Amino acid sequence: MEKQLIISIGREFGSGGHVIAEALAKRFNIPLYDHNLLDHIAEEKNLNAEELKKFDEKPRNVLLSRTFKGHSSSPSDHIAMMQFDYLKKKAEKGESFVVVGRCAEMVLKEYEAMISLFVLGDKECKTKRVMEVYDISKEEARKKMERHDVYRKQYHNSYCDSKWGDSRSYDLCINSSRLGIDGTVAMLADYIRARRGENK
Amino acid sequence: MATIAAVTIFVLMFVLIVMDKIKRHYVTLGCGLLTLVVVFGFCMHSIPAIMETLSLHSFIEPSFWYAAGEHEEAAAGINWATIVFIAGMMVMVEGMGKAGFFRWLCLSIAKAVKYRAVPILITFMIMSALLAMFIDSITVILFLAAVTVELAQLLKFNPVPMILAEIFCANLGGSATMCGDPPNIIIGTSLHYSFADFVTNTGLIALISMVFIVFYFYFCFRKELSKNNNTGAAGSYPQPSEAIENKRAFAVSCVIFGAAVILLVTHAQTGLTVATIGLFIAVVTLLTSGKDAIIILKKLDYETLFFFIGLFVVVGGLEQTGALTAVAEFIGKISEGNAMLMIAIVLWVSAIASAFVDNIPFAATMIPVIKTLSATQGVDLDTLAWTLSMGTDIGGSATPIGASANVVGISMAAKEGHIIGWGKYCKYAVPATIIVMVISMVCIYARYL
Repeated sequence: MEKQLIISIGREFGSGGHVIAEALAKRFNIPLYDHNLLDHIAEEKNLNAEELKKFDEKPRNVLLSRTFKGHSSSPSDHIAMMQFDYLKKKAEKGESFVVVGRCAEMVLKEYEAMISLFVLGDKECKTKRVMEVYDISKEEARKKMERHDVYRKQYHNSYCDSKWGDSRSYDLCINSSRLGIDGTVAMLADYIRARRGENK
Repeated sequence: MATIAAVTIFVLMFVLIVMDKIKRHYVTLGCGLLTLVVVFGFCMHSIPAIMETLSLHSFIEPSFWYAAGEHEEAAAGINWATIVFIAGMMVMVEGMGKAGFFRWLCLSIAKAVKYRAVPILITFMIMSALLAMFIDSITVILFLAAVTVELAQLLKFNPVPMILAEIFCANLGGSATMCGDPPNIIIGTSLHYSFADFVTNTGLIALISMVFIVFYFYFCFRKELSKNNNTGAAGSYPQPSEAIENKRAFAVSCVIFGAAVILLVTHAQTGLTVATIGLFIAVVTLLTSGKDAIIILKKLDYETLFFFIGLFVVVGGLEQTGALTAVAEFIGKISEGNAMLMIAIVLWVSAIASAFVDNIPFAATMIPVIKTLSATQGVDLDTLAWTLSMGTDIGGSATPIGASANVVGISMAAKEGHIIGWGKYCKYAVPATIIVMVISMVCIYARYL
């Protein structure tokens, strides 16, 4: 049986983290879990995935939610927990996969097969990429980046003890602006192989 | 100076509770300690005020345990009767849950209506309200929602409408009795009302409201629940007997629950206070639980008890410094002594506030306010008490964060992927809340003015 491999990728908005995750999943021939996690969960539980996606990777609204003895009124909390449970279940079964965001580096940290990565980027490079991908102005791109990164940070930090993007919480943090997307993928693939002892 | 400090601590406590970053019992205990040290110690230099707020002397007063005839005015500070009663009920409910009582009851009713979704909706609403009259609504919803989700999976219906209706009815049922909802326990023990006082006043309003609410939810959800009617295989239905893990424990828990109901209903006649009843029920539950007594004690919700203790100290600070008198004077001033207006203000402000902030601290804060209002404006204290009770109990039903039972119900549904956001919740709960508020206002005006 193939040795289990779990790759978690945290990312700044515009850094190309998602594209890198897709490329790594393809390279190692393993499934990619991102927002599609909720499609899998919805299918399993016979639910409407679109309803669930409204709260995907959204931070809890402190003023409009309340917790009581382990129960929460926040939809974001429930969606996050469902995704965490799903990921743990997959990892427990010995499956290999790449997961984007969703606090995976914390949720799955106890698994030996886990390699946690964080992709960041220079502001200028990220802005340029966001402008191209979404066909928007520089100003709009900056605002979009800021907004998404604030969400991701709040989301991550409300479920994890560690801080979002803090290098101490990941096995490797990499600036994708230095080597470009393809170069970063190649470098990360080498790193992953080395971690798995495949370069020996 | 003392008043400013007391108000600042109170506001800080409320903000921290709303922020939900620190556990709420740490918040109230911390703020309670601040009140004792800063308000009573540094500002007032008053050891008697500290002693009065801690209210430990109440345990050795005979009237704390047995109160026949007239009662003296309740002192400011920790309402130990509320704490002892809630602790006692917690022990009993823990024992009942362990014995499988609630699950058995839910499944028996579902079986009695032949596992059909619409009759389950109606019977579960009524059961939710009836159980919540004697047991805290959180426990009621915890068990009811779990069975609802289970039945929904089998019978292929969406459990969300039913859970929303159950939550609302639990809060409504809780308003009917002295022990149904924490604000009522606080109002009842602080102002020395009996179980019968509540049943004949708020209970009557709750009963009238319940008739309207059953029809309201029936018309809201009948189409959705009729879509998939009874599609499960008969053999796959969970049987009530499966819920009972230990027949002896089950029988004992039924007897204790029955005894608790009888003691509460008759406490005005027997003279036993709710503190005595709470202690008695707890002791009997523990004695009959054998080895499980330790487990029951370990599982008790101490956080809620500490939350109450801290809360009473902070509100005691407000009361002793006269800050709440100012609030009462303000309400008196804007209503210009008009009782109708005063009642409308107390009812709607309580309801709106309780929809967004915890109704327990709100009720505890408002009791000294209505006492002052009654004394200075000449409005009947009982009328204001029933108004406050309905406002705080029902207002909490309007939003997902208004009451702990709402949070528990939403969470139980969400665990199976049925997400209830603000929009979905308020779409049904806000009109229902308004219906009950209007009924309450009409009943109070018609009966007491």
